[in-house]
Amino acid sequence: MAEFEPKIVAFLCRWCAYAGADLAGTSRLKYPPNVVPIRVPCSGRVEPAWVVDALRQGADGVLIGGCHPGDCHYVSGNYKARRRVYLLKKILPELGIEPDRVRLEWVSASEGKRFAEVVADFVAELRALGPIGAGSDASRVTRDEESTALRGG
Amino acid sequence: MRAEDEARPKGSPDSMGPTPYVARHENSASPVTRHASRPKIAVYWTGSCGGCDVSFLEVGEAIVDILSQVEIVFWPALADPKREDLEAMPPGSIDVALINGTIRTEENVEMVELLREKAKLVVAYGACAHLGGVPSLANLSTREEILGEVLGEGWRRGPPPGGPEEDAPPDLLPRALPLSQVVRVDYTVPGCPPPAGLIGEFFNAFLSGEMPEPGYVFAKAKALCEECPRTREERVLKRIVRPHELLPDPEECLLDQGLICLGPVTRGGCNAACPQAGMPCTGCLGPTPKAGDPGLAMISALASLVRAGEEGEEAIPKEDEILDQLVDLIGTLYKYGVPTFCPLSPERERAGVRGKASPSPVPSQPGRGRRKGGAA
Repeated sequence: MAEFEPKIVAFLCRWCAYAGADLAGTSRLKYPPNVVPIRVPCSGRVEPAWVVDALRQGADGVLIGGCHPGDCHYVSGNYKARRRVYLLKKILPELGIEPDRVRLEWVSASEGKRFAEVVADFVAELRALGPIGAGSDASRVTRDEESTALRGG
Repeated sequence: MRAEDEARPKGSPDSMGPTPYVARHENSASPVTRHASRPKIAVYWTGSCGGCDVSFLEVGEAIVDILSQVEIVFWPALADPKREDLEAMPPGSIDVALINGTIRTEENVEMVELLREKAKLVVAYGACAHLGGVPSLANLSTREEILGEVLGEGWRRGPPPGGPEEDAPPDLLPRALPLSQVVRVDYTVPGCPPPAGLIGEFFNAFLSGEMPEPGYVFAKAKALCEECPRTREERVLKRIVRPHELLPDPEECLLDQGLICLGPVTRGGCNAACPQAGMPCTGCLGPTPKAGDPGLAMISALASLVRAGEEGEEAIPKEDEILDQLVDLIGTLYKYGVPTFCPLSPERERAGVRGKASPSPVPSQPGRGRRKGGAA
């Protein structure tokens, strides 16, 4: 069987992380092609609902990239993003999703190399975790549901 | 009936009670409504505490007026109708079935399918039928875990000792469901239990024959905060406390005081009854259409509000300390909506465990509205 290729949705802030990803490209750095970047104005714009939506629709991991602390174009958007991700990671296990599937990273516009490293590292981590829903999650609520499946099946 | 009822236009303040329900006919003993005869109503409970059945009394003396205009054909909490009585009714012979409670047992499913077949309109009445309700928090455990915990190891389903097999209790479904995941739902009267104003609004519409578009939820689309009299000034959260830890200031916004009030993401329609009484909103009217998933919307809002002094790297440990004061996340943020909102993993979605939310405005065959779930 071919190796599991995780799908990653990356919300990247246009000022730092997205520019960093651009730099990784123009510098011809190699990194795994598993990431789908989505440009957002600021990491603080990323709603927890988007992250869960991505995971629900089949992403194995979500990467949120923002500016380093103190560098936010909007002064404090990255701090807000950090608090949101902190709370989100607390609720994810209760919903049966491994919190490690969500990652917040600071990548500046000059850190193309760092972006490539972050993606490579995240891909390796998600490979180890396996496809979403395959691990601990399945045991929680649905254990008996496939057989009984609400009278329909 | 009250003489002033005739003169009062629809929607004017009711000096006699909290309900906006207004009698619209000359003599309640011979009701003149757009219905040819008295509309037949059924009220049924599934996995319910009974509070919804009692809630009809909340409208005050308007209940006399409402009841004089309808014919109750099935209401187990009130009379003693049997399932056979319901089965004997022709399909579509009930004008509206108001169903409260979460769907938890095989019998619940059979009964609501039967009611769907017999009723022209099905209304999800109360938070359980609407979103799953408090009993659906049980979905955080499996059915086997629940039964093992309550009945002990080695339990088995069966009739009482010496009783006939048919006396065995109905099977639990794998999980609790809101009504809309079992049958097609035409309207929703939300709340735990529905507040008097919204019950009145529903009966006003129903008895006048001026029902809104199918799928309508009888509550406001705007957030509860809009009708809350408390004042909002700080707009920051310096600590998070639970209701028993604080005697709240009577004027100030509860969220500003550190109580997790779901007002910002919850529909209005109850005149902010709980915040007015010093208790934070727990979201029983369901989220506003804009909020979508109430828990995730609230996480977003709370994270934005939390402040431990000047924002910066130094504040991070203190911010986390505040965020850690938020305990029981599911019970606090999804008290009424676990089966509707708790984001399930893609695998569960693919397995069809989570039903598609109704309402679909397209009528389906009676009793065929239920989405088939599972590993078909």
